Amino acid sequence: MILQHLAILQVMLPLLAAPLCVLSRSPLLAWGIAALAGLFALAGSFILFAQVLNAGVISYHIGNWAPPWGIEFRLDAANSFVLVVVSLVGAVCILYGRRSIEREIPEDDQPLFYTMLLLCFAGMLGVTSTGDAFNLFVFLEIFSLSSYVLVAMGAERDRRALTAAFTYLLLGTIGATFYVIGLGFVYALTGTLNMADMAVRITGMAGSGTLRVAFAFMIIGMGLKLAIFPMHLWLPNAYAFAPSIVTALLAGTATKVALYVLLRILFTIFSPAYPFESQTLQYLFLPLGLAGVFVASIVALFQQDVKRVLAWSSIAQSGYFLLGVSFASVGGLMASIVHLFNHAIMKSGLFLAVGCVVYRTGSCSIASFRGLGHKMPWTMAAFVIGGLSMIGIPATIGFTSKWYLILAALERGWWPVAIAIVAGSLLALFYFGRIIEAAYLQPSTDDSTITEAPLSMLAPMWMLTISCLALGIDSELTVSAARAAAEALFLDPHAGLPAHTGP
Amino acid sequence: MKHHIILRIGAKLLIPLIMLLALYVQFHGDYGPGGGFQAGVIFASAFILYGLVFGLGELRRVAPLPILMKLMAAGWLIYIGTGYLGLALGGMYLDYNILSSDPVAGQHLGIFLIELAVGITVASTMLAIYQCFNAHQSGEMTENE
Amino acid sequence: MMFALGPETVLQLILLVPGLGAILIGATNRFPNLRDALSLLIATALCALAVWLLLDHVAGGIARLQLTPIVQGLPILFVAEPIGLVFAVLASALWIVITAYSIGYMRKNNEPHQTRFYICFAIAMASTMGIALAGNLLTLFLFYEILTLSTYPLVVHHETDAARRAGRVYLGLLLSSSILFLLPAIIWTWFLAGTLDFTRGGILAGKIEGTQAAILFALFLFGAGKAALMPLHRWLPAAMIAPTPVSAFLHAVAVVKAGVFTILKVGVYIFGVGFLASVQASEWMLWVSAFSLIAASVIALGKDDLKARLAYSTIAQLAYVTMGVCLATVMGMVGGAMQLVTHALGKITLFMCAGAIYLATGKTRISDMRGLGRVMPFTFGAFLLGALSIIGIPPLGGAWSKWFLMMGASDAGHLAALGIWMLSSLLSLAYLIPLVARGFFLPLQEEEDRPQAQGREISVIRLARLREAPLWCVVPACITALLSVLVYFAGPAIAGFILPALGP
Repeated sequence: MILQHLAILQVMLPLLAAPLCVLSRSPLLAWGIAALAGLFALAGSFILFAQVLNAGVISYHIGNWAPPWGIEFRLDAANSFVLVVVSLVGAVCILYGRRSIEREIPEDDQPLFYTMLLLCFAGMLGVTSTGDAFNLFVFLEIFSLSSYVLVAMGAERDRRALTAAFTYLLLGTIGATFYVIGLGFVYALTGTLNMADMAVRITGMAGSGTLRVAFAFMIIGMGLKLAIFPMHLWLPNAYAFAPSIVTALLAGTATKVALYVLLRILFTIFSPAYPFESQTLQYLFLPLGLAGVFVASIVALFQQDVKRVLAWSSIAQSGYFLLGVSFASVGGLMASIVHLFNHAIMKSGLFLAVGCVVYRTGSCSIASFRGLGHKMPWTMAAFVIGGLSMIGIPATIGFTSKWYLILAALERGWWPVAIAIVAGSLLALFYFGRIIEAAYLQPSTDDSTITEAPLSMLAPMWMLTISCLALGIDSELTVSAARAAAEALFLDPHAGLPAHTGP
Repeated sequence: MKHHIILRIGAKLLIPLIMLLALYVQFHGDYGPGGGFQAGVIFASAFILYGLVFGLGELRRVAPLPILMKLMAAGWLIYIGTGYLGLALGGMYLDYNILSSDPVAGQHLGIFLIELAVGITVASTMLAIYQCFNAHQSGEMTENE
Repeated sequence: MMFALGPETVLQLILLVPGLGAILIGATNRFPNLRDALSLLIATALCALAVWLLLDHVAGGIARLQLTPIVQGLPILFVAEPIGLVFAVLASALWIVITAYSIGYMRKNNEPHQTRFYICFAIAMASTMGIALAGNLLTLFLFYEILTLSTYPLVVHHETDAARRAGRVYLGLLLSSSILFLLPAIIWTWFLAGTLDFTRGGILAGKIEGTQAAILFALFLFGAGKAALMPLHRWLPAAMIAPTPVSAFLHAVAVVKAGVFTILKVGVYIFGVGFLASVQASEWMLWVSAFSLIAASVIALGKDDLKARLAYSTIAQLAYVTMGVCLATVMGMVGGAMQLVTHALGKITLFMCAGAIYLATGKTRISDMRGLGRVMPFTFGAFLLGALSIIGIPPLGGAWSKWFLMMGASDAGHLAALGIWMLSSLLSLAYLIPLVARGFFLPLQEEEDRPQAQGREISVIRLARLREAPLWCVVPACITALLSVLVYFAGPAIAGFILPALGP
């Protein structure tokens, strides 16, 4: 029975666990509940992913109302893969979080913090699972609103978290509103909210001005959430001032989920022909992606705070996603999806390592990293591996990403783009080099009491680090999954659709 | 507040009526305009009026924040629980038909439970927000700060 | 017992032994004697394995090991082939020598972080083996990058500001060039040919031509930044900040040789000699490397610091290999491979001597080394042999590589290359021999400074009281100097071993 309903339980179990955290007064109990929910979601996502690969699309009708009338949870190769990413990062962050949260959040607020964490987690899982465009908006708001709160909870460490959260709230809300405005237009045109049904009804409307406006609103809305250059302004402060664990969670999942929604809009709701042939979107995405990669990487070079370096690097990575999409080919899309997975793993791992440093030193400026290579060897080793992966050294997952992105650029014959991609990864070498050099080669600050982070933080972090290496050495799994996802999105977005004959 | 006798008497007269209206909107929601959200807001407004007239301290006594938090979670749990009830009875998530032998009665029961859950959560949330904001205004710090 | 091993097991062991060795060395951190003995043992075991593999190949065995795919369709692959085997045996044999030397040097000099030093050395060795035995370009690239990263801690060993700056240049140039040029070249090749396996006769024939082929070839040559082709050579002098064993082994043997080895492999197994000649892809790169050769030699002449002079000499000598490949003839390639071997032996000798001089006298500048030959005859004798080998004078190994290279040039009808090589041999004579001459024929600096009685005669060659460096440092240098002589006699055999691999 659980297997049959797994698609919904996946989302609803964290959502059930969240109020239980409110009711539990003890932070430890709340953490236990959250960890159980996270682990359940993780196991569930793997089972669902295997099911989708073996048996095809899973469709779950909520309340037993058949789509397009009822809300449908629809898992294909693309979103079940994203589901794995989200629940993996989410589960690891929750497991890691106990000690870090004890340090950064006041004790009374900790159960509520876990509640928000679970809400955010469930919201992202919901966005990923649902096949209904409006339901997607609802889950998007669940995840966005709770993430604003989570960012604001960094105020205990630094009051600037409040303004950061406010900016994030304003821009995030604009993004969500733009999405829902666009959705409203599409609904007016098609009379349906089910994405698959929408896709069928849209065909033949390519000339419609309303559709073009709707498309623009939806893309810009999601662009804001994805922090596409130049819509990235909310991201650096939100990441820098949020509690460490929130940064790790958001960096690993929030932009990935936004990217997934963007792909859904581009490839499922509007078939690939519309954005790329009728609207020539690639000529917008390509320069924006390149500008994002370079501007953000160069800004990252001059940051004095490690979290901010990583945050700007995340904006640069959004540029890579966009490049992959702009190739408008299966290869490019696959590269984007591979990078989506890989970046989630490595960036979360990096932020968790920074979290360990914050736990011990209370600061995350580059200066406070001095000499940590000897004092916190395991943490810094994980950081170095993550950094190497971001640079794209072979045998790490970052290399796989870069390989497929460059290959996709060459397939299109866009060799200057290929050069730009390697040049961008070179900038990563410089901004990570600064931090790693400080950690290993500069004399430490006077405080000699700093020791290695506790095992309960190291173990989850190293899970990500090890997968960063293992999946880099053997990329068969991720690449074939990403290929299946890309083909599902690109080649036959409407395959396996039931012939809805709505009103 | 001792001197504002008109306010005190007026409020005492109005509050039960507001609550009654809230209950009407709540339970009539299945058939006509209304529903849990509106009912919750109206219900909370009765308490807020009480708080305006008799002071925040008094309001805290009748509606303490910890209880409100539990109520919020409880409403939420009822909502989710109704969904799980559908599963437990062998249907889909949030499947109302299965809640009773008669599908129509099942739908009725299901929507009743959901609206109830929404009502509880909305009412307690509104009250909590009012208390927190009011505390800020009067310079007090709440435990939620 | 050794004969019970299969070639595949040996391949696995060759990679595992130094890797596990690194862990064991780390574990014996607190027992320096045990740690150093272990380092020697591991080096010996590795060399034995490499020799076993070489003999197996001579006997007709085909060692091949395939691991997991890094990207779809591209597994980590190891294949034993002649050039790689020669490189593997050479590097592992020299590792024994240099380990012995390091033990002497590091202890005498009281260096800090010795355990880290040996660990990084072992990892660097493992990656060198990976490079030597790589069966496709991606595997080679993987270990190429690991080699860069594992040698970085060695370069910044002293953790001073100067070391940090040098480390930045080192890592920056090597990683940048490999990411910016080598990686795109590899992906481009994969895109064109659909395979990256090292195949006899190359994989690119008919897939690319004209200017594009020239660009791809240039990407490979500059991408292998470890080959220190100008203007990407700055890392090599910068790396001289490291302790001398590191300079000796890595920056004269493993790292730079990994660079030219990559170029050789690309020339032989990716482009293929015949194809390279037919598309004329390498003509202009020949001039670039010729420029590198002459310019580096001239710079070396002007350097007073011994290690810096040797570093620029290395840059010049590496350009021989690159030029050999660029000639696109079979003899040129053989010459390149021979140069790889003989230069390694010669240059490691020179560096070990430089280190021994520093240990014994604390001197690094050539102008201060007057008369030292009298007190350190063994060191200076070894230095002389190494220098003669590098210059290319028989009966030393270097003569063979110059011989084959010149044959290659005449095969290609490239008289200009012949001229350049003659000029460069003269230049190397000019920058290497004066040190020896001053060492033996001039009086010791201290004696010179002492006011001397008028009319007192100083005999031209007069051995003073010996003040040699520790035995651990002098003996290895003498061994490699003698090996240089031996290689002269083994030269034809090595060439004969490599030759079959070069044909189509």
